[in-house]
Amino acid sequence: MTSSHLSIFVSTLAFSLGSVHSATTDFTKDVLPILEDRCIKCHGPGKQKAKLRLDQRPTMLKGGDSGLPTIVPDKPEKSFLIEVVKQLDPEMAMPPKGDPLTREQVATLEKWIAEGAEWPGQMDDVGAKPTSDHWSLQPVKRPEIPDGKSHPIDAFLNRALEKTELKANPEADPLSLVRRASITLTGLPPTPARSERFVSDSKNDPQAYEKLIDELLASPHFGERWAQHWLDAIRWAETNGSEANLYRKNAWVYRDYVVRAFNNDVPYNQFISEQIAGDTMGAGEATGFLVAGPHVPAATVGAEATAIRQARADRLDEVVQTVGASMLGMTVSCARCHNHKFDPISIQDYYALTAVFQGVEFGGRHPELSDEHPRKKRAKELYPQMFKERQTLRQAGLSWAEHWGGFQDYQFKAETTKAVRIDFTNPSVFIDELEIFGPKGHRQNFALSSGGATLKTDPSMTQNRGDLHNANDGYFGTMMWKSKAPKDSPDRPWVEIHFTESQTVNRFRSSSNREYYFETEYLVNKQGKKSSVYYPPNFRISTLQEDGTWKQIAHSQHAKNRLNKDPELKAAHNRLHTLIGQLSEEGPRHSFIGRFQKPVVTKVLYRGSPENPRDEVMPRGFEILDGDLGLDSSTPDPERRRRFAEWLTRPENPLTSRVMVNRIWHHIFGMGIVPTASDFGLAGAPPSHPELLDFLASEFVEDDWSMKSMIRFIVSSDAFRRASNPESLALQTDASSTLLWRFPPRRIEAEVIRDGILQASGKLDPSIGGRGFRIHNEKQTYSQWEVVDNHGPKTWRRMLYQERMRRVDDQIFTAFDFPDCGQVRAKRSISTTPLQALNLLNSPFVVTQSEFIAERALSEAGGDQKGAVTRAFLLLLNRVPSEQELTASLEIVSAHGLPIVCRTLINSNEFAFLP
Amino acid sequence: MNSEYLSPLGRKLLDRRGFMNSSALALGGLGLAQLLGSEADETTNFTGKSPIRPVIDPDKPYTSRAPHHEAPAKRVLIIFCPGAVSHVDTWDYKPDLTKFHGQKPPGIPAVTFEGPTGNIAKPFWDFKPRGQSGKMISDLVPNLARHADDFCFLHSLHTQTSAHPQGENFLNTGFTMEGFPSAGAWMTYALGSQCKDLPAFVAINDPRGMARSGKNNFGSAFLPASFQGTDFNAKNPPANLTRPAVYSSAHDRATINLLQKLNSKHLERFPADNDLAARIASYEMAGKMQMSVPDIMDLKGEPASIHKQYGTDTGSDLKKEYAKNCILARRLLEKGVRVVQLFNGSDPSGGNGITNWDSHSNIKDTHAMQAEIMDQPTAALIADLKQRGMLDDTLVVWATEFGRMPFLQGNGTGRDHNPDAFTCFLAGAGVKKGYSHGASDRFGAKAEKDPTSVYDFNATILHLMGLDHERLTYYHNGLERRLTNVHGHVINDVLA
Repeated sequence: MTSSHLSIFVSTLAFSLGSVHSATTDFTKDVLPILEDRCIKCHGPGKQKAKLRLDQRPTMLKGGDSGLPTIVPDKPEKSFLIEVVKQLDPEMAMPPKGDPLTREQVATLEKWIAEGAEWPGQMDDVGAKPTSDHWSLQPVKRPEIPDGKSHPIDAFLNRALEKTELKANPEADPLSLVRRASITLTGLPPTPARSERFVSDSKNDPQAYEKLIDELLASPHFGERWAQHWLDAIRWAETNGSEANLYRKNAWVYRDYVVRAFNNDVPYNQFISEQIAGDTMGAGEATGFLVAGPHVPAATVGAEATAIRQARADRLDEVVQTVGASMLGMTVSCARCHNHKFDPISIQDYYALTAVFQGVEFGGRHPELSDEHPRKKRAKELYPQMFKERQTLRQAGLSWAEHWGGFQDYQFKAETTKAVRIDFTNPSVFIDELEIFGPKGHRQNFALSSGGATLKTDPSMTQNRGDLHNANDGYFGTMMWKSKAPKDSPDRPWVEIHFTESQTVNRFRSSSNREYYFETEYLVNKQGKKSSVYYPPNFRISTLQEDGTWKQIAHSQHAKNRLNKDPELKAAHNRLHTLIGQLSEEGPRHSFIGRFQKPVVTKVLYRGSPENPRDEVMPRGFEILDGDLGLDSSTPDPERRRRFAEWLTRPENPLTSRVMVNRIWHHIFGMGIVPTASDFGLAGAPPSHPELLDFLASEFVEDDWSMKSMIRFIVSSDAFRRASNPESLALQTDASSTLLWRFPPRRIEAEVIRDGILQASGKLDPSIGGRGFRIHNEKQTYSQWEVVDNHGPKTWRRMLYQERMRRVDDQIFTAFDFPDCGQVRAKRSISTTPLQALNLLNSPFVVTQSEFIAERALSEAGGDQKGAVTRAFLLLLNRVPSEQELTASLEIVSAHGLPIVCRTLINSNEFAFLP
Repeated sequence: MNSEYLSPLGRKLLDRRGFMNSSALALGGLGLAQLLGSEADETTNFTGKSPIRPVIDPDKPYTSRAPHHEAPAKRVLIIFCPGAVSHVDTWDYKPDLTKFHGQKPPGIPAVTFEGPTGNIAKPFWDFKPRGQSGKMISDLVPNLARHADDFCFLHSLHTQTSAHPQGENFLNTGFTMEGFPSAGAWMTYALGSQCKDLPAFVAINDPRGMARSGKNNFGSAFLPASFQGTDFNAKNPPANLTRPAVYSSAHDRATINLLQKLNSKHLERFPADNDLAARIASYEMAGKMQMSVPDIMDLKGEPASIHKQYGTDTGSDLKKEYAKNCILARRLLEKGVRVVQLFNGSDPSGGNGITNWDSHSNIKDTHAMQAEIMDQPTAALIADLKQRGMLDDTLVVWATEFGRMPFLQGNGTGRDHNPDAFTCFLAGAGVKKGYSHGASDRFGAKAEKDPTSVYDFNATILHLMGLDHERLTYYHNGLERRLTNVHGHVINDVLA
């Protein structure tokens, strides 16, 4: 059928069936002529516009690029065919030329579909599962290692080399090797002492190189270097991008997680599972991955419901992009509006992925940590102490306020009641959320509207855009309940919280804008002052009695007065606040690592528009890779992500291991075996060495996904150790050194330049992890971040810890292709611009560091100028100067001073290139 | 590169190019992926057109490159007014607003970006016929109005968002999302520059600072950093251009001399390495820029008549500063800088209480303050270009990210964002003069006649610069990316 012409098929059919008269539609007589006349020319055997064929039932069931089935038997209302011929959407009206179908013709098609879309001879074929012969979707097959004594990697590489005229370079000189290995593995050049030791060891110790590699892999700086690569791949940054580009408070705990994971050699399957579902694995900080990309907060897109829905769809898309590009190596987002143009990813696959992450929202939470986590341990030390202070206060019959920064907890004597009433003493209150808790199950908020609680107040005091429901809708932030008593009135704002059934309660929590406190920082008001947190200062709390009357159980002003008069109680209250401060700083802290919510039903969005929801989809992986997880819309959020992570890390998933070994290869050689490291689809590039890639991928899985082992394995090859010198003949054949006849030299990244300078001056603070250093101002919500200090002592840490602000220029190193962290980028481009030159010549950072390096060199050389020049060369280039260089440098030293020589060395090509 | 690893199409490309001149491919981001991306030509191009890739010499990424087709425009001036200029108070005359003033006819939405809507409001400034074309333009922009006969208005623009940052992104990068190259970067990537000692693309930011989307508006995103806009204005040179106070010119000479010695010794070990050569060349360019940029920023040599015309000595301080930026823009264009992007407005902080065109309240005052800054200097700049004959081969684009509503907000004094209709104008090389394309509805609420998308707008700008928006592509993560995504049609109606 596929190759034969339709009309031949039709005539045969007509002959064999004859004309059947019945009340039902006759496909051959009624339907086929319409299709033949108006559709087949573009969607038939000759042409398949939008990858659609309407001359076969199975392809109609499947549909074309839109991803929507052309026909759904029995359901004309769900059949895309009917929609387009009715021309409901002018941009998708069919047929595009000539008159629309007549009303009768449309009715015929509708009737035909409603009756089951009978198509004689084709009823058994219901549309096959998608298939693909694309290389990356085939199972990983471990190939035989080519014969020979070489390292397996070289065996594969050499086999390809041998087919050409190219000859491999000899091993690099020890100096280049130690610099190359050190920068590749730790991001730092070797110290002069280490490079000298390696140069001398390599003369007589055959194990010298292995020992060097072991040492570098064991260095805590290894994790920093490789964390930088991973953060790049997922465009992680510490601001939102978008409207106000706000800082994401404590997002850096995720960076620490990544550094730790690399240093501890967390197996890759565990590494990615934790990032997807770490909340279920005692590694809550790892889910910072999910919210690594930029996002448009709901509060900044205005009041229109359509814009709010669009922003949510965009946020989910960022999550899916992050997962797709980094872990699957697929440009999943291409299937957001229609089936993927090149790869067998359907629009259903895309929305099934959004269903997996439907419970994820950009924001923060307290990370779930394992009991061994230092912060968890610290909290466990502090809790009993806090309990003790509270007991003191409680036993005195007191009620008291606890200030937690973002909110206030008011503790009172436990009471069982069906309602709580708060009478405020101030004429005006504004509360983004109020909560009521009890002594049991202390996380359950009885005031939540979604839990059935209702609020009452005096509506006449409620202010414009300050509706009461904001106070118990579960959302923190700028949407508040605002109540204000009329001027000169003795009345005061109040609120009643009615539960569906009796609850035992002992705590009232309130805040004005918890979101700003917990989710962001470094904001100031128009006067340039940090905005303070507002708590309702005083109030009375009453509970509803059986007889319908209210009984006052706490009066905050009275309690405060008592506290202030009793030095012992006052001291206990003070100690409690010291502990609260310690817990907030040293315990698990609210961090921008994503928050979770109950997932809503996920639907395919026709043409990517949230205003056009179609069929429901279930959470699952790609259909082509057996992604069915047996889940549905009722599956709770964490389980969706956990099950997806299991699917992703199945050893037989052909993408996961290939993508990661290729990424590792890319960071070592500067280009991947698959050059398009985040696109293993048809539009990406094919592998230069397919068998090698599969060999590495299977080795990776068999070696329990150890990233350190894989890195060690690759840098142990001859290929990594080859000299990088160009060879003119070879360059002509293989300019980009794809065949690795040499180690391809390249300009080092922004971080390596900056860290290398600081190491040379001896000013580098090598401490690992923790909060980053700031180079920017504190700003008003709607204004730009500006560089305040990009060179002072507090910035003398590794650049990994420079607060990473989306699309903000640091005025020195951004020019070195530092990513803007907007779109997922498989690799940094390496470009050369005059701005780079100006920054390395004139920035205050280079000016001051040149002086420090000179000072250090001079002091280490005991004040001898010649020795100092030599020392400066060693500190920056790991080598001594040639006679000529020495002479030229000394001339400059005597005329202009040693700092000028150091400035020059920093600008040299030799310093900026990986040898 | 061994062609064994390329598809037949990729091999064909190599042969066609005489691939031995590999220098064009050695520039990092323009290297292998670009080459391999070209394999996907057949599959990635939705339009059936194959990409035209500029051949970029890594030594000289800014050398002038040929356009895709002959075009009158050799350079472009983009005047961007962030905050959303009210089209119904400037260029888009709607008499029905006066007729329905104070009423709320059916069809007006209950809620827009900032919340509940108010009543229709007549324009806050009077409209008068201007020039020979008789184009109705308001008194808010009297100086620009005098040049109506040179302008080609697009009245039926519409956009995809009513939020500023996404709107700025969309207009300047073709995507509402973060992380796409700016129009200026695309043109610089394709065309390089005619100027040897200045950056190919200069972003002249507002005296008050950058616009809401910051660097996105002139960034290179995933294009190589060489093609981003260099950020300076009449007051502030590029970061680190100026020699630090602790150094003398003798220090600089010593540095460069020693650097040459070090680099040439190093180059002996890597004789054919273009990346190294390119880096050496970049230092030469940096040296030139240290002379040429202060020179071009120095407006003292401009005659008093020019200062007067632009208004550098009259009006508000911000206007004086902006006027100097306008003179700088002309000087850069004169030198052959390919893209000059001039900002009139910043992010809302600092300044004199208003920082851009975003007039949610007291539009009568805030738009007036903003127009006082923009009108005279911009008009003088365009007149100056014309007087020098430069409008013949310079394209002028005046743009804002969306329009404002014909009705007031709940507060009764401002107009809310309008993504469904707004006005921009083109002038100069290749553009019809004294012409208006498309129309919004009778209130200016929605684009009605010949609706024009931002894709169309950008496609047209590229076309006027000699570039085919469907063939100016760059492989990035699985797609041949374009300024116009997969959309856009050149608006032939505006072409001269």
